Order: sequence, then structure tokens, then C-alpha cells
Amino acid sequence: MSRAPSPGLSRRNVLSAAPLTAAGGMAAAVPSRKRPRIAAVVSEYRRYSHAQHIVDRFLWGYGWGNRHHRPPMDVVSVYVDQTPKNTLIHDRLRRFPTMKKYPTIAEALTQGGSRLAVDGVLLIGEHGNYPKNEKGQTLYPRYEWFKEITRVFRDSGRSVPVFNDKHLSWKWEWAKEMVDISRELDFAFLAGSSVPVTPRLPSIDMPLGVEIEEALCLAVGGMDGYDIHALEGLQCMVERRRGGETGAASIHALRGDPVFQAMKAGSWQAGGWDPELFQACLCRSHSLTPNREGFNHVLPSLEQVPGLITENTPLAYRFEYLDGLKGTILLMEGLVMDFTFAARLKGGEVISTQMFLPPREVCNFFNPQCHHVEQMFLTGKAGYPVERTLLTTGLTAAGVESVWQGQKRLDTPHLNIRYQPTQESTFWRS
Amino acid sequence: MLSRRTFLEIAAASGLAAHLGCAGGPSTKKRKKLAIVASIWRYLSHAQHFGDRFLVGYPRKGQWHHPEMDVVSLYVDQKPEGDQSQARADEFGFQVYPTIQEALRCGGDKLAVDAVLLIIEHGDYPRNAKGQVLYPRYEFFQQVVEVFEQDGRAVPVFNDKHLSYDTAKAKKMVADSKRLGFPLLAGSSLPVTWRIPAIEFPLDCVIEEALMVGVGSSDASDYHALEAMQCMVERRRGGESGVKSVQLIQGDAVWKAGGEGRWSKRLLEAALSRSNKLLGDTLIDARPQDLANNGQLPKIVKEPAAYFIEHADGLQSTLLMLNGGVQDRTFAAKLQGMPEPQSLLFQLPPLPNVTYSACLAEKIEEMIETGQAPFPAERTLIVSGILDHCLESKVQGNRKLETPELQIRYRPPEGSHFCRA
Repeated sequence: MSRAPSPGLSRRNVLSAAPLTAAGGMAAAVPSRKRPRIAAVVSEYRRYSHAQHIVDRFLWGYGWGNRHHRPPMDVVSVYVDQTPKNTLIHDRLRRFPTMKKYPTIAEALTQGGSRLAVDGVLLIGEHGNYPKNEKGQTLYPRYEWFKEITRVFRDSGRSVPVFNDKHLSWKWEWAKEMVDISRELDFAFLAGSSVPVTPRLPSIDMPLGVEIEEALCLAVGGMDGYDIHALEGLQCMVERRRGGETGAASIHALRGDPVFQAMKAGSWQAGGWDPELFQACLCRSHSLTPNREGFNHVLPSLEQVPGLITENTPLAYRFEYLDGLKGTILLMEGLVMDFTFAARLKGGEVISTQMFLPPREVCNFFNPQCHHVEQMFLTGKAGYPVERTLLTTGLTAAGVESVWQGQKRLDTPHLNIRYQPTQESTFWRS
Repeated sequence: MLSRRTFLEIAAASGLAAHLGCAGGPSTKKRKKLAIVASIWRYLSHAQHFGDRFLVGYPRKGQWHHPEMDVVSLYVDQKPEGDQSQARADEFGFQVYPTIQEALRCGGDKLAVDAVLLIIEHGDYPRNAKGQVLYPRYEFFQQVVEVFEQDGRAVPVFNDKHLSYDTAKAKKMVADSKRLGFPLLAGSSLPVTWRIPAIEFPLDCVIEEALMVGVGSSDASDYHALEAMQCMVERRRGGESGVKSVQLIQGDAVWKAGGEGRWSKRLLEAALSRSNKLLGDTLIDARPQDLANNGQLPKIVKEPAAYFIEHADGLQSTLLMLNGGVQDRTFAAKLQGMPEPQSLLFQLPPLPNVTYSACLAEKIEEMIETGQAPFPAERTLIVSGILDHCLESKVQGNRKLETPELQIRYRPPEGSHFCRA
């Protein structure tokens, strides 16, 4: 991993690279002049929090490219909003003295000075103790922190790439404003879930430019936490359809028994979803709960599905795109414990896959996400469009709103978000 | 593609499918009849995993697939507590017979099935001094072959896992299949399970060195790991050339050997970069680790073992058993012309579905349908022999053993057979 300093490297740069070597016996660094400085703005840093998974990968390295890869950049500053008893922040500060903790976001970004002093920002406002509103949304302060970050950008007359973990904000207007600001200040903005970039079983992508009639993502978890993951898993596939993304026209959320009634409807048009897509998802699952004792793997009938859901209330978002595509996400934890996707292409063909989430202990689905973040910090370009996450953020908020309004179908004229997908696949396949 | 109506009916119908059994003759002209010869059949035994795939179907290429064949007879050697053999027979309309001969002949006087699944894994069998479980695979296979010979007809045979704990017996099994001209498919699920990433080495690549990381017990899990490695290295230029020598070392000698370059730390790093189940400090706080280089392995792997395999063409392949260090199975190799090693995880989906057994069921079905084994039994033969001799090395003070018995040459299959669709 070590690389000899280039002949043109100044003494100062060699010395400034040294602390990393000292930290926990890390390999020698590449010339520091080229090493981007990263600020991490996080809610809480404890075992299994997103901040731990993501920032740890920048500190310790992670499996990538057939080796233990160490990002060629330094996390130099961190703002931690909450420090619960089990916080790991003190441990990490001790192990990685290059990283300093600051009491405010502005100070983290300026490294205690008066001007922006980092080359990239990790905004990880997931986990931690934050209030919920009456609709059940956790009020993570991602928007508020983003505003503080971009205030420093404005004050410094310079902007740097920002990664926003998961959806942009619980509130649509704020999410929209975040993307608008990133355009105004012209910085690379990457956001979203790791589901779109994790390995797939099988390792397939939606062929670019195909016509899709209907898509479905079957997943786990509950509203305002995992709906966004399922939406991102679905969206990263369907955005590759002919014409690219056109935006969403309407959404209808179902929760509890209405989900099972919709399941029996037999089609999207009849108020449900295509049962073949549902079956394809079940067949891509590697954690399908057997409905018969003594059997390890059997396909349940639709009548048996309700009895297999053990955790959380089942949730369905049915949504229609402006170009006519139909989409559904289903959260049915207990029936399955993984994320699967299926779509019917025009002509009838069904394609399906599992978006593989490795076990919690290591959570290596963060590896490809960190890879893309790293690439953005190095190149100044986001590897996939933030408009995807803007749309999924909007669908999440609209889905929650639909539930709140008594599972009412809602038009979503504000979600007329058009964008083009990347030509190349961006999920982890090498 | 299944119709919606079919889907609605699947679960209800799966137990009631028209399996007419031996007595009733074929339900349709083309449906093949299977006999299963098993050690035990209880929940989560191999016989249950594989047998049920042929009874209730399994996921294949994104659809629930029902094999166009019927299990018509079963022989189980042992009926421990939790035995399901009779319950399955009652539900699915087949017969449990008291002998292998009767199972193959469905109680009549002539071979009455179109294929035999030999699933002799799990059950109460003694171990020898080398730690090998003395599963009667060879002995049961011989009884199958005797029926074939007596009745003048041979049908495809699937043998789960290694052929026999004894190399000479394993060789005889493959020789019998060639002599009587019946396809023999054998081995572990690892060569056919999902890979992350989904890579296969190009045929006739030049492999400079290979390393596999395995976990679990001997002689069950080391077998799986050895066969996973073999399905990768057999694709090298010239195909498999046979094995000249093997050596199994244990304890600190494993780390010393790594320090001396007998196995490649770079390959270990590449393999472990694919692991999704690192142990040690990762268990404390979920931190990612450079486990190949951070000095932790000697502290957390309690009983390391290295299985060194010297192939006739000079290739060195090594299996490291790293219990306590990781909990999954990864592989890396250095290919000539590629600057970096190539590595992958053999993904074993978790209990209870263990969908890797669906990947192998698909291959069993393919053999029965086509009359051709999708990949050569020589792979399983050479790995059976490698393991047998490695365990011999273990009891002979970890000394290196020449292996003239393992001059087994074969060509790999042209296509890939791991689950990727």
C-alpha cells in the first residue's frame, strides 16, 4: 500500500502525512498535497450507526479492488451532534489523531478557522435521538445541517462536494431546496441509500433504454426508515428505462390489512400489483420464511403471506410515473428479511434480482457507497444523479402523507422530476 | 412462466401433486423417476435439503421451479429422532424401502428408476483416526452399481459431497461409472453457489498461485473449501494436471509459513477483502479490518491449519482454515498478465433456505434431463483424494506426502456452472 514520496514532494508534505502512519499502524500515506481533507458531520458515532459504518471506512479502510483499500484522503474534522453512552467518537479520535472534533459544523468545516478548510463533506444524519412528528417521521436535521454547511461555502466563496446519507430531508420543500442550493453553488452532491450500489444476485442491471410496464421492490423494515431504501432500490433500476426518468404522478400508501386486500386484487390496475412480480421477488429472496414446519424452503400462497409477517406493520406504496410506469414497494418483514426487485418489461419478460445486503456485523454494503463518495471527493463529480434521491425523498414524504391522510391516493405534481441515468452501471460488480 | 392462477395454487397443490409412485407407473410419459438413497432424512439434513427440492420445487432464475420428475422411492440408513422419511413418503406418494436394492427396483425385480440421488451426509457414523467420518458412500454406491449390473441398465447418479473418505474407494466409484457408462455428478454446493463478484476465470488462463480461506470442521467443511478452490484452479492452462504432493500444517507453523512466503499474504488480503464476516475486533464495534496485515489473525484464530497442494504442473494452491478469524469462504488467485490478484466470496445464503442447495439441485436436474454430468466427477475425485491425503499428513506429524495416487488429469467444463442467472 505504501507509495514512495514523489521527488517533487516538499518536506512539509511528507511530515504532514506522517500522523496517519502513526495512527494505528496504518500504511504510509500518498503525498498529502493531493490528499483531500474531509469533514464529517454526523448525528451519532456508535456501533452500527451509519456514521460508524461510513466514517470508519474512511479511517480504517475497507475491502475494495481485491485488497484492503485505504481511501487516499484524510478525515480531518468531525462534528458529532449526540454522544450517547456507547459513543465511539472518543475511541476514534484517539486512534486517528488526524481527525479533530469541533463543537459546531462551521468550525468542523473551517477546522476552527474562518474559511472553508476541507475538500469534501460527509453529512450523515441517520440514527440518534431525534423527535418524531405526528406523521411518524423522524426529524433528522439533515436540511438544517446542510444549510450550515452551505453557509460556510457561501461565506468562503468556495464549495466542495457533499455526500448526504439516505434521503435528503423528511420535508419535501427542504429536500428540493438542498438540491437547488447544490446547483446554485455548483458543487457535486451525492445522496441516498446503499441499496442501489450493493452487489446483486444475480449481478444484473436494468438494460438501458428498455420499456418497463411495472416494477416492484419487496423489502423489510418500517415507514420512514426502510421505505426510502426500497424506493431507492426500485428507482435505480427503473430510471434506466426508455426516455429516462420523468417523475411521479401519484402515490397511494397502504398499511396493515389493506395491504393484504390489495395483494389479492391481482393487478396494479385493480388496486394491487402484478402477482408474478411478487412471486419473482419471493424467488430471489434468500430468507423466505417457510410456512410449513419441517420444510426449509417452500413458496407460500398469497393466503399464507399475512401469517408470515412478524415485524412492523406491512406497508405498500403504489405509485405511478408520468410516463405511465407503475411502481410498488412492499415492506413485509418476517415474510422475507432481504431486498428483492422485479420488473415486467414491455412484451412480458420479467427480470428480477436481489440487492444483497451483507450481514450487519460488517455491513459491507457501505463499501460501494464509500467508493462512490471517495470518487466524488477525488473527481468533483457525483457518480449518479442526486435527482434520484430527490425523487425517492419526495415519494417517501408523499407515502407518509398518504398514510397520514387515511391511506388516500395523492397526486404528486411537485414530483415531476426529470433526469437521465448513468450510462454505466454503478452497483458493485467487480 | 407460471400463470397467476398457478401461483395462487402452488402452495396448496405442491403437497398434492400427482405423484403416482412406483406402482402407478409414470404419471406422464416423460416424467423421470428418482430413487433417493440417504443416510438420514430429518429437518436440515442434506437429504431433506435436496430431497425437498424435488418434492416442493425450488427457486430457479427468479421463478419457482417444479422439476419434471418424481421421487418414487427412498432408502434411509438411519431413522433418528426427528426422522421425516415416512411423513414425506406419505405426503408425496412414494415408498420407503428397507434396502437399497428394493428402492432402486421399487420393490420389483428390475431397476425401476431413471436416476439415483446418493445423499450420505449427516447421521451417526464412526470416525477414524484421521478424523474422517466413515460415511458409507462407497458401500452404498457399490450396491447401486450391483443393481445396475444385475439388471443390465445404468442410470445417472448424484453423489452428495465427496465420493468416499478413502481415495482408493473414491477412484473405484468413478471407474465404475465409466465402466458402466452412467453419468456421475458429485460434490459440494460451493462450486455452484452464488459468487460475489460473479466471476469465472477464463479457460486456459495461467494461474500463478491460489489461496482459499475456509472455516468449519474437518472433514466436512475443509472438503467444501477444497472443492471451491478446485473449481477455480481447474480452469488453468492445460486443465487439471493432478497433484504431486500435499501437506497439512497446524498452529503457529501456519503463520511462520506465511512469513516465509509459502502462502501469499497478498492473496490472503485479496481473499479477506471479500469477507462479509470478519471476527476479532470487528465484533467489538463493527470496524472494518485489514485482517491479513494487522496482526490479529494469530491472536483470534485458535487452531489454524494450512493445506498445501502441489499440482503436477507446478501450481501451488493453499487452503487456510481460519476458524475464529472469519465466518465465510473466500478465494484469491494471481493470474498471469493481471497486475492484481482476483478474488471472490463463495456466498452461502443462510439457514433455513440455504439456497445454495437450489443451485446444486438445478445441476442434478440438468444431469438427469440430459444424461450428461455438467461438470466432471474427477473434480470431486481429486478433491476427495487431496483431503484424504492432507488428513494423512496431519496424523503423520504434518509431513509432506507424495501423492502418486492423485495423478488425476481432467479438463474443466467449457461453460460456467455457478448460480448467476
